[in-house]
Amino acid sequence: MSFQKRLKSGDFVVLAEINTPKGVDISELMTNGRRVKGRIDAVVIPDMDNGVMKMNALAGAVLMHRQGIETIIHVYGRDRNRLAIQSDLLSAYVLGVQNLIVVEGVGVDDSDHRDAVVVDDLDEIGILRTIQALEEGVDLSGFDLTGSPGFTTGCTVSPYTDDAGMEREIEAAAKKAEAGAEFIITPPIFDIDHLRTLIDRLKSTNLPIIPSVFLIKSVGIARYMSINEPGTRISEDLIKRIRKSPDRDMEGIRIAGEMIKALKDISQGVEIITLGWEHQLPAILDAAGI
Amino acid sequence: MITAERKPMQEIIDYVSPFNRILLVGCNECVTVCAAGGRKEVGLLASALQMSFMQRGKALDIQEITLERQCDPEYVEQLVNYVDRYDAVLSMACGCGVQEVARRYKTKPVFPALNTKFMGASEHQGIWAERCQGCGDCVLGVTGGICPIARCSKRIMNGPCGGSTKGKCEINPDIECAWQLIWDRLKMLGLEDRYEEIMEAKDWRTSRDGGPRRIVREDLAS
Repeated sequence: MSFQKRLKSGDFVVLAEINTPKGVDISELMTNGRRVKGRIDAVVIPDMDNGVMKMNALAGAVLMHRQGIETIIHVYGRDRNRLAIQSDLLSAYVLGVQNLIVVEGVGVDDSDHRDAVVVDDLDEIGILRTIQALEEGVDLSGFDLTGSPGFTTGCTVSPYTDDAGMEREIEAAAKKAEAGAEFIITPPIFDIDHLRTLIDRLKSTNLPIIPSVFLIKSVGIARYMSINEPGTRISEDLIKRIRKSPDRDMEGIRIAGEMIKALKDISQGVEIITLGWEHQLPAILDAAGI
Repeated sequence: MITAERKPMQEIIDYVSPFNRILLVGCNECVTVCAAGGRKEVGLLASALQMSFMQRGKALDIQEITLERQCDPEYVEQLVNYVDRYDAVLSMACGCGVQEVARRYKTKPVFPALNTKFMGASEHQGIWAERCQGCGDCVLGVTGGICPIARCSKRIMNGPCGGSTKGKCEINPDIECAWQLIWDRLKMLGLEDRYEEIMEAKDWRTSRDGGPRRIVREDLAS
Protein backbone atom coordinates (compact mmCIF):
# COMPACT_ATOMS: atom_id res chain seq x y z
CA MET A 1 0.00 0.00 0.00
CA SER A 2 1.31 3.46 -0.84
CA PHE A 3 2.41 5.96 1.77
CA GLN A 4 -0.56 8.13 0.88
CA LYS A 5 -3.06 5.30 1.36
CA ARG A 6 -1.45 4.18 4.62
CA LEU A 7 -1.55 7.76 5.87
CA LYS A 8 -5.20 8.17 4.93
CA SER A 9 -6.19 4.84 6.43
CA GLY A 10 -4.79 5.93 9.78
CA ASP A 11 -2.07 3.24 9.82
CA PHE A 12 1.20 3.81 11.63
CA VAL A 13 3.66 4.86 8.90
CA VAL A 14 7.41 4.37 9.14
CA LEU A 15 9.71 6.76 7.32
CA ALA A 16 13.50 6.89 7.36
CA GLU A 17 15.85 9.61 6.16
CA ILE A 18 18.57 8.62 3.74
CA ASN A 19 20.93 11.28 2.46
CA THR A 20 22.29 11.60 -1.05
CA PRO A 21 26.06 11.44 -1.56
CA LYS A 22 28.42 14.36 -1.94
CA GLY A 23 29.66 13.08 -5.25
CA VAL A 24 28.51 10.56 -7.80
CA ASP A 25 29.27 7.32 -6.00
CA ILE A 26 25.76 6.09 -5.28
CA SER A 27 26.69 2.66 -3.99
CA GLU A 28 26.08 3.51 -0.33
CA LEU A 29 22.79 5.25 -1.15
CA MET A 30 21.60 2.21 -3.09
CA THR A 31 22.75 -0.22 -0.40
CA ASN A 32 21.00 1.77 2.31
CA GLY A 33 17.83 1.78 0.24
CA ARG A 34 17.97 -1.98 -0.16
CA ARG A 35 18.51 -2.36 3.58
CA VAL A 36 15.12 -0.85 4.36
CA LYS A 37 13.14 -1.91 1.30
CA GLY A 38 9.92 -3.60 2.34
CA ARG A 39 10.39 -2.64 5.96
CA ILE A 40 9.38 1.01 5.87
CA ASP A 41 6.70 2.97 4.01
CA ALA A 42 8.93 5.57 2.42
CA VAL A 43 12.46 6.91 2.39
CA VAL A 44 12.74 10.62 3.13
CA ILE A 45 15.45 12.31 1.09
CA PRO A 46 16.67 15.67 2.39
CA ASP A 47 17.87 18.21 -0.13
CA MET A 48 21.25 19.62 0.85
CA ASP A 49 20.11 20.07 4.41
CA ASN A 50 22.40 22.15 6.60
CA GLY A 51 23.63 23.78 3.41
CA VAL A 52 25.98 20.95 2.48
CA MET A 53 26.28 20.65 -1.29
CA LYS A 54 25.23 17.16 -2.40
CA MET A 55 23.38 15.34 -5.14
CA ASN A 56 19.88 16.76 -5.09
CA ALA A 57 16.94 15.04 -3.45
CA LEU A 58 15.10 14.46 -6.70
CA ALA A 59 17.96 12.44 -8.17
CA GLY A 60 18.21 10.45 -4.96
CA ALA A 61 14.48 9.82 -5.00
CA VAL A 62 14.51 8.64 -8.61
CA LEU A 63 17.32 6.23 -7.80
CA MET A 64 15.25 4.85 -4.91
CA HIS A 65 12.18 4.69 -7.13
CA ARG A 66 14.07 2.53 -9.62
CA GLN A 67 14.61 0.07 -6.78
CA GLY A 68 10.91 0.03 -6.03
CA ILE A 69 11.21 2.17 -2.93
CA GLU A 70 8.69 4.96 -2.33
CA THR A 71 10.19 8.30 -1.43
CA ILE A 72 9.41 11.68 0.05
CA ILE A 73 11.63 14.61 -0.88
CA HIS A 74 12.30 17.81 1.01
CA VAL A 75 11.33 21.07 -0.69
CA TYR A 76 12.39 24.50 0.52
CA GLY A 77 13.20 27.95 -0.80
CA ARG A 78 16.78 28.67 0.14
CA ASP A 79 18.38 27.67 -3.14
CA ARG A 80 15.62 27.99 -5.69
CA ASN A 81 13.26 30.71 -6.84
CA ARG A 82 9.62 30.08 -7.70
CA LEU A 83 10.39 29.05 -11.28
CA ALA A 84 12.92 26.44 -10.22
CA ILE A 85 10.71 25.12 -7.43
CA GLN A 86 7.70 24.69 -9.71
CA SER A 87 9.78 23.17 -12.47
CA ASP A 88 11.37 20.70 -10.06
CA LEU A 89 7.97 19.76 -8.66
CA LEU A 90 6.60 18.98 -12.12
CA SER A 91 9.74 16.99 -12.84
CA ALA A 92 9.45 15.11 -9.56
CA TYR A 93 5.89 14.10 -10.29
CA VAL A 94 6.57 12.69 -13.74
CA LEU A 95 9.61 10.86 -12.41
CA GLY A 96 7.44 9.10 -9.86
CA VAL A 97 8.06 11.21 -6.77
CA GLN A 98 4.68 12.13 -5.39
CA ASN A 99 5.38 12.81 -1.73
CA LEU A 100 6.86 16.03 -0.43
CA ILE A 101 7.82 17.62 2.84
CA VAL A 102 8.08 21.40 2.79
CA VAL A 103 10.85 22.25 5.20
CA GLU A 104 12.51 25.36 6.49
CA GLY A 105 15.66 26.26 4.56
CA VAL A 106 18.60 26.40 6.93
CA GLY A 107 20.92 29.35 6.30
CA VAL A 108 24.27 28.99 4.59
CA ASP A 109 26.34 30.53 7.38
CA ASP A 110 27.32 27.12 8.71
CA SER A 111 27.25 25.40 5.37
CA ASP A 112 30.11 24.30 3.16
CA HIS A 113 29.32 27.14 0.75
CA ARG A 114 29.16 30.17 3.00
CA ASP A 115 29.66 32.52 0.07
CA ALA A 116 26.46 31.39 -1.67
CA VAL A 117 23.54 33.74 -2.30
CA VAL A 118 20.38 32.81 -0.43
CA VAL A 119 17.29 32.94 -2.66
CA ASP A 120 14.33 32.71 -0.27
CA ASP A 121 11.85 33.78 -2.93
CA LEU A 122 9.09 31.67 -1.36
CA ASP A 123 8.74 30.77 2.30
CA GLU A 124 7.19 27.50 3.52
CA ILE A 125 3.65 28.85 3.26
CA GLY A 126 4.43 30.18 -0.21
CA ILE A 127 5.70 26.77 -1.33
CA LEU A 128 2.69 24.96 0.11
CA ARG A 129 0.41 27.33 -1.77
CA THR A 130 2.45 26.82 -4.92
CA ILE A 131 1.95 23.06 -4.63
CA GLN A 132 -1.78 23.63 -4.20
CA ALA A 133 -1.84 25.78 -7.32
CA LEU A 134 0.02 23.18 -9.40
CA GLU A 135 -2.38 20.51 -8.19
CA GLU A 136 -5.25 22.73 -9.32
CA GLY A 137 -3.69 22.90 -12.77
CA VAL A 138 -2.20 26.39 -12.74
CA ASP A 139 1.22 27.77 -12.00
CA LEU A 140 1.93 30.53 -9.52
CA SER A 141 1.29 33.14 -12.18
CA GLY A 142 -2.08 31.64 -12.99
CA PHE A 143 -1.12 30.06 -16.31
CA ASP A 144 -2.72 26.70 -17.13
CA LEU A 145 -0.65 23.55 -16.92
CA THR A 146 -0.83 20.74 -19.44
CA GLY A 147 -1.62 18.02 -16.95
CA SER A 148 -1.47 18.71 -13.25
CA PRO A 149 0.46 16.79 -10.59
CA GLY A 150 -0.91 15.36 -7.37
CA PHE A 151 1.23 15.23 -4.27
CA THR A 152 0.95 14.12 -0.68
CA THR A 153 2.55 17.05 1.04
CA GLY A 154 3.78 17.37 4.58
CA CYS A 155 5.19 20.20 6.61
CA THR A 156 7.40 20.38 9.67
CA VAL A 157 7.35 21.77 13.14
CA SER A 158 10.73 23.36 13.73
CA PRO A 159 12.73 22.67 16.88
CA TYR A 160 11.89 24.99 19.76
CA THR A 161 13.31 25.50 23.19
CA ASP A 162 10.54 26.84 25.39
CA ASP A 163 6.77 27.04 25.78
CA ALA A 164 6.61 30.27 23.79
CA GLY A 165 8.44 28.51 20.97
CA MET A 166 5.99 25.63 21.09
CA GLU A 167 3.01 28.00 20.90
CA ARG A 168 4.61 29.75 17.94
CA GLU A 169 5.14 26.45 16.14
CA ILE A 170 1.58 25.31 16.81
CA GLU A 171 0.32 28.55 15.32
CA ALA A 172 2.67 28.12 12.35
CA ALA A 173 1.47 24.52 11.87
CA ALA A 174 -2.13 25.76 11.72
CA LYS A 175 -1.14 28.17 8.96
CA LYS A 176 0.67 25.40 7.09
CA ALA A 177 -2.38 23.16 7.39
CA GLU A 178 -4.50 25.96 5.98
CA ALA A 179 -2.01 26.30 3.13
CA GLY A 180 -2.41 22.66 2.16
CA ALA A 181 -0.12 20.53 4.34
CA GLU A 182 -1.47 17.00 4.79
CA PHE A 183 0.78 15.69 7.55
CA ILE A 184 3.17 17.15 10.09
CA ILE A 185 6.69 16.00 10.96
CA THR A 186 7.79 17.07 14.43
CA PRO A 187 11.43 17.44 15.51
CA PRO A 188 13.29 14.89 17.66
CA ILE A 189 12.11 15.17 21.27
CA PHE A 190 13.35 12.56 23.74
CA ASP A 191 10.87 13.44 26.50
CA ILE A 192 7.87 11.32 25.57
CA ASP A 193 5.55 13.20 27.95
CA HIS A 194 6.40 16.51 26.32
CA LEU A 195 6.05 14.95 22.90
CA ARG A 196 2.60 13.72 23.89
CA THR A 197 1.68 17.29 24.89
CA LEU A 198 2.88 18.63 21.54
CA ILE A 199 0.97 15.98 19.62
CA ASP A 200 -2.19 16.73 21.59
CA ARG A 201 -1.85 20.43 20.83
CA LEU A 202 -1.27 19.75 17.14
CA LYS A 203 -4.45 17.68 16.92
CA SER A 204 -6.36 20.91 16.27
CA THR A 205 -4.86 20.83 12.77
CA ASN A 206 -6.65 17.50 12.11
CA LEU A 207 -3.49 16.28 10.37
CA PRO A 208 -1.54 13.07 11.02
CA ILE A 209 1.44 13.79 13.27
CA ILE A 210 4.70 11.98 12.53
CA PRO A 211 7.42 12.62 15.13
CA SER A 212 11.09 12.28 14.29
CA VAL A 213 13.27 9.85 16.20
CA PHE A 214 16.95 10.67 16.14
CA LEU A 215 19.62 8.02 16.55
CA ILE A 216 22.06 9.08 19.26
CA LYS A 217 25.43 7.82 18.10
CA SER A 218 27.57 8.69 21.09
CA VAL A 219 27.67 10.26 24.53
CA GLY A 220 29.34 13.28 22.91
CA ILE A 221 26.46 13.83 20.53
CA ALA A 222 23.92 13.39 23.31
CA ARG A 223 25.79 15.94 25.41
CA TYR A 224 26.15 18.34 22.48
CA MET A 225 22.45 18.16 21.69
CA SER A 226 21.38 18.55 25.29
CA ILE A 227 23.42 21.78 25.51
CA ASN A 228 23.03 23.24 22.03
CA GLU A 229 19.62 21.91 21.09
CA PRO A 230 17.71 22.00 24.36
CA GLY A 231 14.47 21.45 22.46
CA THR A 232 15.47 17.79 22.10
CA ARG A 233 14.99 17.47 25.88
CA ILE A 234 17.75 14.91 26.30
CA SER A 235 17.89 14.19 30.01
CA GLU A 236 20.94 13.58 32.16
CA ASP A 237 19.53 10.11 32.87
CA LEU A 238 19.54 9.33 29.17
CA ILE A 239 23.13 10.51 28.78
CA LYS A 240 24.11 8.45 31.83
CA ARG A 241 22.38 5.40 30.36
CA ILE A 242 24.43 5.62 27.18
CA ARG A 243 27.66 6.35 29.06
CA LYS A 244 27.25 3.31 31.31
CA SER A 245 26.33 0.96 28.53
CA PRO A 246 28.96 -1.64 27.52
CA ASP A 247 27.82 -1.16 23.90
CA ARG A 248 27.06 2.50 23.37
CA ASP A 249 26.21 2.12 19.68
CA MET A 250 23.66 -0.50 20.56
CA GLU A 251 22.30 1.60 23.41
CA GLY A 252 21.50 4.42 21.02
CA ILE A 253 19.73 1.94 18.76
CA ARG A 254 17.78 0.55 21.71
CA ILE A 255 16.72 4.05 22.76
CA ALA A 256 15.52 4.82 19.23
CA GLY A 257 13.63 1.51 19.18
CA GLU A 258 11.95 2.29 22.51
CA MET A 259 10.95 5.74 21.25
CA ILE A 260 9.37 4.25 18.15
CA LYS A 261 7.47 1.69 20.23
CA ALA A 262 6.16 4.48 22.45
CA LEU A 263 5.07 6.50 19.42
CA LYS A 264 2.83 3.71 18.18
CA ASP A 265 0.35 4.65 20.89
CA ILE A 266 0.43 8.40 20.50
CA SER A 267 1.16 9.28 16.87
CA GLN A 268 0.50 8.17 13.35
CA GLY A 269 4.02 7.33 12.43
CA VAL A 270 7.70 7.96 12.83
CA GLU A 271 10.50 9.45 10.81
CA ILE A 272 13.83 7.89 11.73
CA ILE A 273 16.86 10.16 11.37
CA THR A 274 20.32 8.62 11.60
CA LEU A 275 22.37 11.37 9.94
CA GLY A 276 25.05 9.27 8.30
CA TRP A 277 24.34 6.02 10.09
CA GLU A 278 21.73 4.77 7.66
CA HIS A 279 23.35 1.32 7.81
CA GLN A 280 21.91 1.05 11.32
CA LEU A 281 18.33 1.51 10.15
CA PRO A 282 17.60 -2.27 10.08
CA ALA A 283 18.88 -2.59 13.64
CA ILE A 284 16.63 0.29 14.75
CA LEU A 285 13.64 -1.28 13.06
CA ASP A 286 14.50 -4.59 14.78
CA ALA A 287 14.68 -2.83 18.13
CA ALA A 288 11.31 -1.22 17.44
CA GLY A 289 9.76 -4.53 16.47
CA ILE A 290 9.05 -3.36 12.93
CA MET B 1 20.10 56.89 5.07
CA ILE B 2 22.56 55.01 2.89
CA THR B 3 25.29 53.66 5.12
CA ALA B 4 28.89 53.01 4.16
CA GLU B 5 32.26 52.12 5.59
CA ARG B 6 35.68 53.12 4.40
CA LYS B 7 37.47 50.51 2.33
CA PRO B 8 40.64 48.92 3.71
CA MET B 9 43.49 51.41 3.41
CA GLN B 10 45.60 49.12 1.26
CA GLU B 11 42.84 48.77 -1.33
CA ILE B 12 42.55 52.56 -1.58
CA ILE B 13 46.33 52.92 -1.86
CA ASP B 14 46.40 50.31 -4.61
CA TYR B 15 43.82 52.33 -6.55
CA VAL B 16 45.60 55.66 -6.33
CA SER B 17 49.27 54.73 -6.17
CA PRO B 18 49.83 55.02 -9.96
CA PHE B 19 48.85 58.71 -9.74
CA ASN B 20 50.46 61.83 -8.31
CA ARG B 21 47.53 64.23 -8.29
CA ILE B 22 44.32 63.10 -6.63
CA LEU B 23 41.02 64.91 -6.22
CA LEU B 24 39.45 63.51 -3.04
CA VAL B 25 35.71 64.19 -2.97
CA GLY B 26 33.46 63.77 0.06
CA CYS B 27 29.69 64.06 0.38
CA ASN B 28 27.70 66.04 2.92
CA GLU B 29 24.72 63.70 2.98
CA CYS B 30 24.28 60.14 4.24
CA VAL B 31 27.96 59.25 4.41
CA THR B 32 28.56 62.30 6.59
CA VAL B 33 25.86 61.17 9.00
CA CYS B 34 27.31 57.66 9.21
CA ALA B 35 30.82 59.10 9.61
CA ALA B 36 32.25 57.44 6.54
CA GLY B 37 32.73 60.07 3.83
CA GLY B 38 32.07 63.57 5.13
CA ARG B 39 34.43 66.51 5.39
CA LYS B 40 36.13 65.08 8.47
CA GLU B 41 36.73 61.67 6.92
CA VAL B 42 37.98 63.31 3.72
CA GLY B 43 40.60 65.15 5.80
CA LEU B 44 41.65 62.00 7.62
CA LEU B 45 41.98 59.99 4.42
CA ALA B 46 43.93 62.77 2.71
CA SER B 47 46.43 62.80 5.58
CA ALA B 48 46.72 59.03 5.59
CA LEU B 49 47.39 58.98 1.85
CA GLN B 50 49.98 61.76 2.18
CA MET B 51 51.83 59.73 4.79
CA SER B 52 51.63 56.59 2.72
CA PHE B 53 53.04 58.34 -0.35
CA MET B 54 55.78 60.00 1.73
CA GLN B 55 56.84 56.65 3.16
CA ARG B 56 57.38 55.43 -0.36
CA GLY B 57 59.24 58.59 -1.33
CA LYS B 58 56.52 59.77 -3.66
CA ALA B 59 54.98 63.21 -3.87
CA LEU B 60 51.20 63.46 -3.67
CA ASP B 61 49.19 66.49 -4.66
CA ILE B 62 45.80 65.89 -3.08
CA GLN B 63 42.88 68.31 -3.16
CA GLU B 64 40.07 67.87 -0.66
CA ILE B 65 36.55 68.91 -1.53
CA THR B 66 33.21 67.92 -0.05
CA LEU B 67 30.07 68.36 -2.12
CA GLU B 68 26.59 68.89 -0.77
CA ARG B 69 25.47 65.76 -2.62
CA GLN B 70 27.45 63.55 -4.97
CA CYS B 71 24.36 61.82 -6.33
CA ASP B 72 23.04 65.05 -7.78
CA PRO B 73 24.37 66.40 -11.12
CA GLU B 74 23.87 69.98 -9.95
CA TYR B 75 26.46 69.56 -7.20
CA VAL B 76 28.77 67.23 -9.14
CA GLU B 77 29.06 70.04 -11.71
CA GLN B 78 30.97 72.01 -9.10
CA LEU B 79 33.98 69.74 -9.67
CA VAL B 80 34.38 71.03 -13.22
CA ASN B 81 37.01 73.59 -12.21
CA TYR B 82 39.10 71.00 -10.38
CA VAL B 83 38.89 67.77 -12.33
CA ASP B 84 41.26 68.73 -15.15
CA ARG B 85 44.04 69.54 -12.71
CA TYR B 86 44.08 66.02 -11.24
CA ASP B 87 44.96 62.56 -12.56
CA ALA B 88 42.15 60.74 -10.79
CA VAL B 89 39.15 61.25 -8.53
CA LEU B 90 38.81 59.35 -5.27
CA SER B 91 35.20 59.50 -4.12
CA MET B 92 34.09 59.12 -0.53
CA ALA B 93 30.42 59.00 -1.48
CA CYS B 94 28.17 55.97 -1.64
CA GLY B 95 28.05 54.00 -4.88
CA CYS B 96 25.47 56.42 -6.27
CA GLY B 97 27.84 59.36 -5.85
CA VAL B 98 30.83 57.54 -7.30
CA GLN B 99 28.83 56.65 -10.39
CA GLU B 100 27.47 60.14 -10.82
CA VAL B 101 30.99 61.58 -10.79
CA ALA B 102 32.16 58.91 -13.22
CA ARG B 103 29.19 59.61 -15.49
CA ARG B 104 29.87 63.36 -15.57
CA TYR B 105 33.66 63.16 -16.00
CA LYS B 106 33.95 60.33 -18.46
CA THR B 107 37.66 60.64 -19.24
CA LYS B 108 38.81 60.77 -15.64
CA PRO B 109 39.48 57.62 -13.58
CA VAL B 110 37.14 57.59 -10.57
CA PHE B 111 37.69 55.25 -7.61
CA PRO B 112 35.53 54.44 -4.61
CA ALA B 113 36.99 54.92 -1.14
CA LEU B 114 33.95 53.44 0.57
CA ASN B 115 32.02 50.21 0.59
CA THR B 116 28.33 51.09 0.41
CA LYS B 117 26.48 48.89 2.87
CA PHE B 118 22.72 49.33 3.22
CA MET B 119 19.76 51.60 3.82
CA GLY B 120 19.48 51.85 7.55
CA ALA B 121 19.05 53.85 10.69
CA SER B 122 21.22 54.70 13.64
CA GLU B 123 20.38 52.49 16.61
CA HIS B 124 22.89 54.07 18.97
CA GLN B 125 25.89 56.33 18.65
CA GLY B 126 28.19 54.54 16.22
CA ILE B 127 25.78 51.70 15.43
CA TRP B 128 23.73 51.54 12.24
CA ALA B 129 21.39 48.75 11.26
CA GLU B 130 19.65 47.76 8.03
CA ARG B 131 16.02 48.79 7.81
CA CYS B 132 14.99 48.78 4.15
CA GLN B 133 15.89 46.86 1.01
CA GLY B 134 13.95 49.11 -1.33
CA CYS B 135 11.67 46.30 -2.51
CA GLY B 136 9.41 48.85 -4.15
CA ASP B 137 6.21 47.57 -2.54
CA CYS B 138 6.25 48.46 1.13
CA VAL B 139 4.60 46.00 3.53
CA LEU B 140 5.24 47.97 6.72
CA GLY B 141 1.55 48.83 6.89
CA VAL B 142 0.65 45.21 7.61
CA THR B 143 3.72 44.17 9.58
CA GLY B 144 3.52 46.64 12.39
CA GLY B 145 6.14 48.98 10.97
CA ILE B 146 8.89 46.34 11.00
CA CYS B 147 10.19 45.08 7.67
CA PRO B 148 10.42 41.29 7.26
CA ILE B 149 12.38 41.70 4.04
CA ALA B 150 15.18 43.84 5.42
CA ARG B 151 15.18 42.59 8.98
CA CYS B 152 14.40 38.87 8.74
CA SER B 153 17.57 37.00 7.78
CA LYS B 154 15.51 34.68 5.56
CA ARG B 155 13.13 37.34 4.18
CA ILE B 156 10.24 35.18 5.40
CA MET B 157 6.83 36.69 4.68
CA ASN B 158 5.02 34.36 7.08
CA GLY B 159 7.33 34.07 10.02
CA PRO B 160 8.93 33.43 12.30
CA CYS B 161 10.99 30.43 11.28
CA GLY B 162 12.02 27.77 13.73
CA GLY B 163 15.33 29.51 14.30
CA SER B 164 13.78 32.28 16.38
CA THR B 165 14.92 31.76 19.96
CA LYS B 166 14.11 34.13 22.78
CA GLY B 167 13.55 36.88 20.27
CA LYS B 168 16.89 36.39 18.53
CA CYS B 169 17.79 35.13 15.07
CA GLU B 170 19.50 31.78 14.52
CA ILE B 171 21.69 33.25 11.79
CA ASN B 172 23.19 35.72 14.24
CA PRO B 173 22.16 35.90 17.89
CA ASP B 174 23.01 39.62 17.90
CA ILE B 175 20.14 40.21 15.49
CA GLU B 176 16.64 40.55 16.81
CA CYS B 177 14.08 38.24 15.20
CA ALA B 178 12.06 40.51 12.93
CA TRP B 179 8.97 38.33 13.28
CA GLN B 180 9.17 38.42 17.05
CA LEU B 181 9.32 42.21 16.78
CA ILE B 182 6.39 42.18 14.35
CA TRP B 183 4.33 39.98 16.66
CA ASP B 184 5.14 42.06 19.74
CA ARG B 185 4.22 45.27 17.97
CA LEU B 186 1.00 43.94 16.43
CA LYS B 187 0.01 42.67 19.86
CA MET B 188 0.77 46.04 21.40
CA LEU B 189 -1.40 47.69 18.76
CA GLY B 190 -4.20 45.16 19.27
CA LEU B 191 -3.76 43.96 15.68
CA GLU B 192 -3.03 40.28 16.33
CA ASP B 193 -5.54 39.34 13.62
CA ARG B 194 -3.15 40.63 11.00
CA TYR B 195 -0.62 38.04 12.06
CA GLU B 196 -3.13 35.29 11.41
CA GLU B 197 -3.50 36.32 7.78
CA ILE B 198 -1.26 34.47 5.34
CA MET B 199 0.83 36.82 3.26
CA GLU B 200 0.92 35.84 -0.39
CA ALA B 201 4.19 35.17 -2.21
CA LYS B 202 5.76 38.56 -2.80
CA ASP B 203 5.85 40.11 -6.25
CA TRP B 204 9.55 40.89 -6.63
CA ARG B 205 9.15 42.78 -9.91
CA THR B 206 9.10 46.03 -8.02
CA SER B 207 12.41 45.07 -6.44
CA ARG B 208 15.80 44.65 -8.07
CA ASP B 209 14.57 41.44 -9.72
CA GLY B 210 12.78 43.57 -12.31
CA GLY B 211 16.16 44.95 -13.41
CA PRO B 212 17.66 48.39 -12.66
CA ARG B 213 14.86 50.68 -11.54
CA ARG B 214 13.94 54.22 -12.48
CA ILE B 215 11.32 56.65 -11.29
CA VAL B 216 9.86 58.95 -13.91
CA ARG B 217 7.78 61.84 -12.64
CA GLU B 218 6.15 63.32 -15.69
CA ASP B 219 5.15 66.40 -13.73
CA LEU B 220 8.78 67.13 -12.87
CA ALA B 221 10.70 65.71 -15.83
CA SER B 222 11.58 68.26 -18.48
